[in-house]
Amino acid sequence: MSLAQFKNRNVGSQSYVTLDVGKPPQGGWCKFKQVAKRTFKGELFVGLWVVFRNMLQALFKNDMHTVKYPLEKMPISPRYRAIHDMLRLLESGNYRCIGCGLCEKICISNCIAMDTRYDEEQRKEVSEYTINFGRCIFCGYCAEVCPELAIVHGPRYENASEQRAGFSFFEDMLTPIDKLNLQQEYDGFGAISPNADENIKKTPLAY
Amino acid sequence: MEATHLLPEVTWVGVLIKTVIILAIISALAGFGTFIERKVLAFMQRRLGPMHVGPYGLLQIAADGIKLFTKEDIIPQNANKLIFMVAPLITAATAFIALGAVPVFPDFTVPDFIPFIGGTFVPSIASDLNIGILFVLGMMASGLYGPLLAGMSQANKWGIIGAARTAIQFLSYEVITALAILAPVMLVGSLSFVDFNMYQSGGVSSWLIWQQPVAFILFLIAGFAETNRTPFDLLEHEAEVVSGYATEYSGMRWGMFFIGEYANMITISVIAAIVFLGGYDASSSIGWLTIMLKIAFFFFLMLWVRAAWPHVRPDQLMWFCWKVLMPIAVLNVLITAIIVLL
Amino acid sequence: MGEVQTINTMVDITIDGVTYKAKEGEFILNAARANNVFIPAICYLTRCSPTLACRICLVEADGKQVYACNAKVKEGMEVVTKTPTILEERRAIMEVYDVNHPLQCGVCDKSGECELQNYTLELEVDSQSYAIPDTKRETTNWSSVLHYDPGLCIVCERCTTVCKDMIGDAAITTAKRGGEAVDKAYKESMPKDAYAMWNKLQKSVIAPSNGTGETNCSDCGECIAVCPVGALVSRDFVYQSNAWDLKRVPAVAAHSSDGAQIYYEVKPTSIANRTEKIYRVTNEWNYVSLDGSARFAYDFQNTTAKKDEKAFQKAIEAFKKAKTIRFNAMITNEEAMMLQRLKEKTGIKLYNPEVRAFQKFLREYQAASGNMLWSTDTDTIMKESDFVISIGASLRNDSPAMKYAFNNVQKLNKGAGLYFHPVGDTLIPTFGKSIEVFNHKAGLEEAALYLVLELFADKEKLPSDVKEYLDSFKSTRTEIVKEKVEKSVKEKVLNEETGEEEEVTKKIKETVEKEITVDTNALVDLLGGDASKFDDAFAKMMKKKERFSMMLGEDLYYHDKAENIAKLVALIEATCPIDVVMAPPKSNALGVALICDLDDEADGYTVGYNEKADFVLSALGSGDLDMPAMNQQEGTLCNIGKRVLPTNAAVEYNGYELNDLVKVFTGAPELTIDWTKDLPKDKGFRAIEFDALPNCFENDGTDNRGYRLENSTKEVPLPKVERFDEQALLDGEIAYRCNPARQFNDFTDKSHEIFEPFGLYVSKEKSESLGEKVEVVFEKGSITLDVIVDDKMTGDIVKVPDYKAFEGIYDLFDGLRYQTVTLRKV
Repeated sequence: MSLAQFKNRNVGSQSYVTLDVGKPPQGGWCKFKQVAKRTFKGELFVGLWVVFRNMLQALFKNDMHTVKYPLEKMPISPRYRAIHDMLRLLESGNYRCIGCGLCEKICISNCIAMDTRYDEEQRKEVSEYTINFGRCIFCGYCAEVCPELAIVHGPRYENASEQRAGFSFFEDMLTPIDKLNLQQEYDGFGAISPNADENIKKTPLAY
Repeated sequence: MEATHLLPEVTWVGVLIKTVIILAIISALAGFGTFIERKVLAFMQRRLGPMHVGPYGLLQIAADGIKLFTKEDIIPQNANKLIFMVAPLITAATAFIALGAVPVFPDFTVPDFIPFIGGTFVPSIASDLNIGILFVLGMMASGLYGPLLAGMSQANKWGIIGAARTAIQFLSYEVITALAILAPVMLVGSLSFVDFNMYQSGGVSSWLIWQQPVAFILFLIAGFAETNRTPFDLLEHEAEVVSGYATEYSGMRWGMFFIGEYANMITISVIAAIVFLGGYDASSSIGWLTIMLKIAFFFFLMLWVRAAWPHVRPDQLMWFCWKVLMPIAVLNVLITAIIVLL
Repeated sequence: MGEVQTINTMVDITIDGVTYKAKEGEFILNAARANNVFIPAICYLTRCSPTLACRICLVEADGKQVYACNAKVKEGMEVVTKTPTILEERRAIMEVYDVNHPLQCGVCDKSGECELQNYTLELEVDSQSYAIPDTKRETTNWSSVLHYDPGLCIVCERCTTVCKDMIGDAAITTAKRGGEAVDKAYKESMPKDAYAMWNKLQKSVIAPSNGTGETNCSDCGECIAVCPVGALVSRDFVYQSNAWDLKRVPAVAAHSSDGAQIYYEVKPTSIANRTEKIYRVTNEWNYVSLDGSARFAYDFQNTTAKKDEKAFQKAIEAFKKAKTIRFNAMITNEEAMMLQRLKEKTGIKLYNPEVRAFQKFLREYQAASGNMLWSTDTDTIMKESDFVISIGASLRNDSPAMKYAFNNVQKLNKGAGLYFHPVGDTLIPTFGKSIEVFNHKAGLEEAALYLVLELFADKEKLPSDVKEYLDSFKSTRTEIVKEKVEKSVKEKVLNEETGEEEEVTKKIKETVEKEITVDTNALVDLLGGDASKFDDAFAKMMKKKERFSMMLGEDLYYHDKAENIAKLVALIEATCPIDVVMAPPKSNALGVALICDLDDEADGYTVGYNEKADFVLSALGSGDLDMPAMNQQEGTLCNIGKRVLPTNAAVEYNGYELNDLVKVFTGAPELTIDWTKDLPKDKGFRAIEFDALPNCFENDGTDNRGYRLENSTKEVPLPKVERFDEQALLDGEIAYRCNPARQFNDFTDKSHEIFEPFGLYVSKEKSESLGEKVEVVFEKGSITLDVIVDDKMTGDIVKVPDYKAFEGIYDLFDGLRYQTVTLRKV
């Protein structure tokens, strides 16, 4: 695109196509003709038929759009960004979080905080972890930046409560240890793309 | 006229019972109508509609009723209070009065085992006036005062616009209704609904719709307009005038407009069923059922149309009335008259 | 030495097409750094010798590939920092560094400020070509503060280099890793330098040099500072915080008189407690080296403080009643100024035993030399000097900056050194080969100064009585010296092949005794040296030496003859080509000495500022009224480099300040730092607002923090010096008032990462005659102390620490640093 074209702000004249809709009816007779034409064309009855057919399908083919929400729930997109989940390692049951603090750093509403310490097994232990859900804007950066896919956005979108703090305990976000087998691998924001292998260069190993 | 003489005498107790039945059932039906409307519209949009109050949401009417009754009755400070308060009553009252001259249910005799009123004959029409149709149309026309006064009394712009629209719409389409129904009246030669019913008692082929299809369509269109139904629901069109004449109303006063409207829908359905579709077959044991079905069909048609069609503009509405429908109606009357004369 | 001689000659060099000025003889890398040109380098430290471990600083100089860290600039040199081959080489080196480096940047403490990360990104290493099986390497703790993770170590040897060249402890060195040998096939396929570097890397790790697994050093933590990766971390800081979460507060190390540049790094204590806490101390390690107190004694803030109005009223009452204010050197210039103002207004006495002797000494020196302050500083010594003399300072304990300078001169400037001190120290001789140590008797510091005069003075300039006095020590004597002589001897040998006799000339070594006359100097013997060997040794030391400097310590100020010593120092400055630096005893002693008129004695009702008194203002949290500690207040401090340095508050403080008190009695400005511009101009201070003070190092390492005190000089006649009295020396057991390496005051003691206990420090051989506990009896009282062995000490003198102000050690020593004591086993 040349600069001149680029600077032409009169977008309408460039890309709009005018439909040929003819002239509006002039005078009473023309209008009457239009009415008669439209009346006998049966378009109105097509409309009636469409909604009637819909009703039949809804009633007899059980093709109903309604989701009875609190009783039924739609599966949500993996890219949906709801209350965070902290995942565990499937093998050991340990939480995946390594305490790198990247989520804390990238958080644009500055609502993540963590304390870490050097534990008895010479590992970095996350001693405290909170998300202030009063401030969280669910942008998903934390999940995207997490190198371990430890913090992800879970499916819990019902977050009306008197105290949002209740969502933010590390233990509440963590997969319950007895439900470890139900833990879903996250494939939303920040997850490894399906073709990740094609995009990386393999590191040689000497083992 | 002979047939009526075969029936037992109508006592004032019977009329009273009928009145109570009409009031109770029709107002209940009006409420039920709202439920049906919501359900039908929902189905046509592949939704479920009300589901949670009672089985399939049947008790939604009760819930709505409780809500309407218990809501605060707000009267705006600058409204003309008396008129504001009376206006909904006019709508409801006229609708029910109109029903007084319409045969709604078949006549029956109260079983003897019921004390006091046992053996009382209850007629199908509370009052079989010989000018029934005229009375009904007149009553419905006077129902226009309800919205008109409501809109003008509430000191609200939208109310005023709603009221103005009410006045022109109802007045205009009253003409069409009258002209449309004039042709069948000329054929039958009576204004009594019972006579209409008798006139068509010869089976489906004797229905007036075959002789007067144009009048039927005109009547139907005008009926939609008079009951303020889509595509002519301009009086209280939300997108344009908030809620029109009902803008400032709340609680039961607001509810009464709707009871009136739904009663009117029933009335129109009844008239259409009797005048054009043969009414109830007095000779058949299931005559009452046939008219029920006919009424139900017209009622359903109103909902169906609402689900399918968009509404028209006020200018289109008036143009349609005076420049299209009225000439046709007049022509229809003329042609009918000529045929009757010949 | 040529290098030193031409140090300030500037030459023009061209780096990547741009012409820059550089000091001749400087390394290319340093010249580039000074001129803000980036050349990647991992192993090189600006003030240390090149290690040549990383080889990444490869550049092309005049068409030849050289390492920028050890190639010197020449006039007109053309340097190219990037050529395809160099880039290939650098990339290969970075790939090698990344081989088997754990991918745990997420948990690593260095992540975010890691040079391996930075250079991997800088050199765009996006794939790995090499592989080798890894060796298991366990993390260890080297000392109470050092944590080493060899798994992360890239063996750049910066830690060993800084420990040897700067700190002088040489406590760590490279050790065998036991890793697999690099596949020979790589020799063909990979760049030469990368292969060589890898071979070396694969063989080594870092380990304590004494072979025990634990370092025996001063725990300064400089190795932590220079570590480019997360291999070396303070034990206390492991996995505590990410680098980017910490807020840096530029400040001055408060404890020693080094006044070293530091950053307090702060962050909220925890999720629940949002008050900020100091997590660690970092420094600009290319330009400044910290001692242990600066790096680890940081959490001495007064946390109990709140505005206690009752205590404040009592304090006002106390001030009204007080006849004396007793304080120490741990005070800012502004506060010292307040006290001085108070004295001028109310006549209250200012008593400061830590500084008083220094002040007197300084005033004597000023009168005798005409100089306001000493002539050089430790940074300049490091850069320029090649011969250092240390008198009266226990280098290891008193002044880290002087220790580093003394060591650095030996290592980098191929220097020599004379060390005069009564307490033997095994560390000093390890600094370099040309060091003569004189463990003289306590009190003979004057003799040391006379020896300096003898050795260096321009005899023409010396007053005749001094010359005579010096000559009186000289004598000649004859000595029989064994000499090896080569002689040619002709021998007849039977040739076995021919059977003939042949004459062969053979060279035979023979030892011949010879009689020579030797000049001997009784001063050398007096000072504990060997006069017969000293002359030769000294002649060797003096070879190619250009710049001489002398470092004077606290012993001289607390000397009986301090006045005469000050005059001798002035005389040395006037007659010898020697620059002098004096170590102010502790913290801001220089500032206090310049600003306050101190009194010799305290009397009457006394208010103490961090000192024992009738009413105590304390930043330690234990006094009658709370005061802010040095990391909680803004202000300026004077250091050994004669600079006025701004320091900032790192931790919040909620109580009253000295300024609030002074306001009640004299007119005082709103804030403490409003005093900064009013510091006395006649003492060398300048009228600069606190907020206008710069606080940084320039790229070439020039210290641009605060400003340098104006050093006014005036012409004065040569001072009249007295002879020293050999007879007035101390007899018997001698105690030396000296702190362990990282302890300076109550504040260092309060810090949780300083572990040196309060006890009697003795040499190993001395400890055998003492039990576990000893009562040290002075004339003025006694104190019972645990005996602690300092394995670097030798000799009989015992060290009594003075860092606990409330123990009254200064009073016990009666204004001196050496005192005769009786040691009684308990």
